[in-house]
Amino acid sequence: MTNSRTILICSGKGGVGKTTLTANLGIALAKQGASTVVLDADFGLRNLDLLLGLENRIVYTAQEVLAETCRLDQALVKHKQEPNLALLPAGNPRMLEWLKPEDMQTIAGMLSDRFDYVLIDCPAGIEDGFKNAVAAAREAIVITTPEVSAVRDADRVIGLLNTHGVTPVQLVLNRVRPKMMANQDMLAVDDVTDILALPLLGLVLEDEQVIVSTNRGEPLTLNGSGTPAAKAYGNIARRLQGEDVALMDPAREGRSGFRAKVRRLMQTKLF
Amino acid sequence: MSADPSREFSHRLSLPPFRSTPWQQWLPAQLSCLEQSSIEVDTGDWHLSCRDLQELLDALKAAGHSVQRITSHCQDTLISAAALGVITQRRVVDCSTTDDASAGSDAGNGALTVHQGTLRSGDHIESRGHLLIVGDVNPGGSASADGDVYIWGRLRGRAHAGLSGNRTARIVALQLRPLQLRIADLVARGPEEQPQPGLAEQACILEGAIAIEPACPPFAPQ
Repeated sequence: MTNSRTILICSGKGGVGKTTLTANLGIALAKQGASTVVLDADFGLRNLDLLLGLENRIVYTAQEVLAETCRLDQALVKHKQEPNLALLPAGNPRMLEWLKPEDMQTIAGMLSDRFDYVLIDCPAGIEDGFKNAVAAAREAIVITTPEVSAVRDADRVIGLLNTHGVTPVQLVLNRVRPKMMANQDMLAVDDVTDILALPLLGLVLEDEQVIVSTNRGEPLTLNGSGTPAAKAYGNIARRLQGEDVALMDPAREGRSGFRAKVRRLMQTKLF
Repeated sequence: MSADPSREFSHRLSLPPFRSTPWQQWLPAQLSCLEQSSIEVDTGDWHLSCRDLQELLDALKAAGHSVQRITSHCQDTLISAAALGVITQRRVVDCSTTDDASAGSDAGNGALTVHQGTLRSGDHIESRGHLLIVGDVNPGGSASADGDVYIWGRLRGRAHAGLSGNRTARIVALQLRPLQLRIADLVARGPEEQPQPGLAEQACILEGAIAIEPACPPFAPQ
């Protein structure tokens, strides 16, 4: 009875972390035993292969699979260290001229026959790239940052996903800075969920290591690093599979650390 | 569109409403009259965690049924179903109109267009008569009407009442925190301060400008 799950990872706004989430979530699910494929639906500016460090192993892409110039196995790039994960690279930018939603559905159909999880990395925006990707999706994860313009764009995208009948839609809040939230310099988690009205799948703290991992082509979840973002991605993968993992509370995170402890001590009345 | 959501199943099991009977007590009686087959389960307004849902699926499997799809309008249930690998369908609560439609095109003065659900950013709804929105208007969303605009929720976007020039039109909301208010040809920015919680307010034209005051009678549209 268990069916394969095809999940679209989108945001509306660019640069909020869709590709990073797709790569890390793919690795985390693969590590937890699920056969996973990640599909880069951004044919214009593809970078899922960069984040996974698989750029130089691409021979065939989704384009050749559609044109039937090669078999699906030839195009799929297996991850070196995580064999449960494969990547189907995006075709070249000229594909944008002729690609239709039905083509994306064909590709997604082929992938869902073989893998437990098909993660689709959606391009930014709500134009043709998004429309093509949405046609192939069953479920969606909307990722946003606690920032007014990102939330506004996410709201728009959620409305479009509802119109297209994509369900369920869950929310990931990325690049959370607990100290700024505590100072009310950043939108609180409740402010975001208040407007978007979606269940929270996960909270990911701002983490400099993400930049390092991107440049190296090694997602954080790969090496079992204990960095906050890696832990968060791992938890998201577990929740996706039905496990009940408590959400991290940014208010508590902001209070940890030596400086915070000293501040609290100084505020305590000793006399 | 993905996996044919319009497919109708020959057998559909609909759980009783959440407040009436616990489904565990209701189910055995139903199983005896349902013939073994692929079925669709409509869980209605039940919030089912993964564990609850697994219990339901196991009970159905033990009776020889295979569940092909789960329909619900509860997010939690849909998420649990997806986590267990079952195809889901979101049942949309019946609305009398859909957004952007020629809502109230035949509705002249005095007719009320009702929209259930939140207007998200980029959504726009217009009515030729009065407009009632049961839900919020998010920042970036807008609602307009030739008559009055009533929002049974929070107005955080834009509202325009008296589209065709009716200066007696008003905008009423349970929580008025708009980006922008327009009545007939007048425009006003939303107030800076937060409203008092629990205070429904209305905007109307007083002495040539848009003013905001606590909602007061008469409440029926004029």
